[in-house]
Amino acid sequence: MSDVRLFLVDDHELFLSGVKAELAEQFEIVGSAGDVDEAIAQIRATRPHVVLVDVHMPGGGGLAVIGNVAETNPDVRFLALSVSDAPEDVIAMIRAGARGYVTKSISPTELVDAVTRIADGDAVFSPRLAGFVLDAFADVFPQPADPELDRLTPREKEVLRQIARGYTYKQVARRLSISVKTVETHVSAVLRKLQLSSRHELARWATDRRIV
Amino acid sequence: MGSQGQSRLSAGGACDNIAVMITDHPGPAPPPPPPPPPSDRVEPAPAWWHRLRSSLHRSGSDRVVSGVAGGLARRVGLPSSYVRAAFITLVFAGGIGAAVYLALWALTINAVSDDVETEPLPDHRRLAVGIMFLGVLLALRGFELWFGDGLVWPVALVAFGTAAVWDRREAKNGTTARDIIASPSRTRLLIGGAVLIAGLSRLFASVDVLAGLGPVVGAVIVTAVGFMLVFGHWVWNMASDLATERRDRIRSEERADMAAHLHDSVLQTLALIQRTDDARRMVTLARAQERELRSWLYGSGEGPAADSFTTALTAAAAKIEGDHDIPVEVVTVGDAAVDDDLNALIAAAGEAITNAAKHSGAGRISVYAELTDDAVDVWISDQGSGFDPAAVPTDRRGIADSIRGRVGRHRGSVEIVSSPAEGTEVHLTMPRVAP
Repeated sequence: MSDVRLFLVDDHELFLSGVKAELAEQFEIVGSAGDVDEAIAQIRATRPHVVLVDVHMPGGGGLAVIGNVAETNPDVRFLALSVSDAPEDVIAMIRAGARGYVTKSISPTELVDAVTRIADGDAVFSPRLAGFVLDAFADVFPQPADPELDRLTPREKEVLRQIARGYTYKQVARRLSISVKTVETHVSAVLRKLQLSSRHELARWATDRRIV
Repeated sequence: MGSQGQSRLSAGGACDNIAVMITDHPGPAPPPPPPPPPSDRVEPAPAWWHRLRSSLHRSGSDRVVSGVAGGLARRVGLPSSYVRAAFITLVFAGGIGAAVYLALWALTINAVSDDVETEPLPDHRRLAVGIMFLGVLLALRGFELWFGDGLVWPVALVAFGTAAVWDRREAKNGTTARDIIASPSRTRLLIGGAVLIAGLSRLFASVDVLAGLGPVVGAVIVTAVGFMLVFGHWVWNMASDLATERRDRIRSEERADMAAHLHDSVLQTLALIQRTDDARRMVTLARAQERELRSWLYGSGEGPAADSFTTALTAAAAKIEGDHDIPVEVVTVGDAAVDDDLNALIAAAGEAITNAAKHSGAGRISVYAELTDDAVDVWISDQGSGFDPAAVPTDRRGIADSIRGRVGRHRGSVEIVSSPAEGTEVHLTMPRVAP
């Protein structure tokens, strides 16, 4: 059991208890909440390392939880966990500050791996999320306003492609002959670009797909 | 300063309870609130305003014109028909009724719900309200806000007679004429009817135009109008019942549609899952059902076009997933309309996915497709047993024909990387020609 303090937010009682049972052996689960207000209050009180947060909940959903907690506790890290894999949900959660996004069909071992990664300060990209990001940053758009910020480096793109093809970080590292640490660095850089930028292309990509 | 704030606070509290205090606890009057301090900034709306806004709403369910009378009746605990009669009577008292009605309409908002039920006013209070109303009428008459004795009194009789007949308290469940006549309010019905007829007759006698029609025509009209006023209630109820019934029927049809769909899909799948011991089969069933339910719930207009590469590839993968009980994860970047080239590529990809499903023994197959302006790439990866591509006999038609042949005929190429440790990855690539 690691010393990662974990908090769970989900309005589905059944799913919540299932995840709790799966993760209780690996992590210290400091609490759980079924709605937005309770979650915000409890997270502030318990100060967990990682919060597993559902996207769709009454009262503002995961976005409201992340937004409110980030103001007071910027060191709390969020991993979004949802049944939805719609691009608008994924991108919105990442832009709000979530360090990763996984769907609820994820296997228990993968979920443990993802939480550990987030606790270490790393980002978690599922194959689908990697696909969305590649799509959003695709080269088909005209020259961006801020090339420094808006472009993915060829290496970052290559890493994302490997993840989209279903490989784990370890496999990606071996296939590209780099260290796992380097893979993690690339992925974190991509996440930062996604979160920081007032992005030209991203906005257009979203408009094209009728997301905004 | 602090004590003044305190006293203002308590005065406000007393104000809130003032209605209760007067009616239920006749005691010492609450201290009057201190005069508002002089100030040149805009004062917030006074408390009575909020009280009026929050306690008096137009009724949504009990409305003839706009629900003002219904809302007022609900607030004071009187049957709404009497409140309407009062408004009608006041209209003939110098138009006061219309003015008050418009003012209330402007000040109130539509009720969000009509769930709040006020305790009906007890009989003696009701009598008091009636006498007060009579007093108001006489006062208005004194001020000459009055359209004439010959008009206002008969109108009042007609209005309140009709109100007594229409009083819907006991008739709530009865909608037929017989129910209404047989209801416990028969006495009220008779008195109301008599008052109504008397008022109508008096109206005819005093209004010149109508009196000129002669007694026979007058009697017929009086009877007809009286009949209409009495049974209008019944017709009214019937019409609103018809509307309710129609709405209920549409709703139940929608429910039936949804139930039928869920029965054919979700319930069948759940039944299948309960009868299955094979964990992998269970997962596949659940995944297939999830996909179908998603497309049923959200699949109207949104998402990629029906003839797009993404849709076609996902559909092909879904079919293999169902046939071979293995999850196939499809991720695509970019999209395009399907042409001959892409069709061939999808067919080849499908063959590669099938191979992986049959031979790899992996728990999951990943498919990643990327479309750019110049080329389209598809990677099919599994983490299964792998094989030695060189060791495959050349007469095995699967890889040769269905994959290499198909892609090759459309200027594409195939690369297969496989090792026992890493599983297999098939990379299909095809240049794209500008349309």
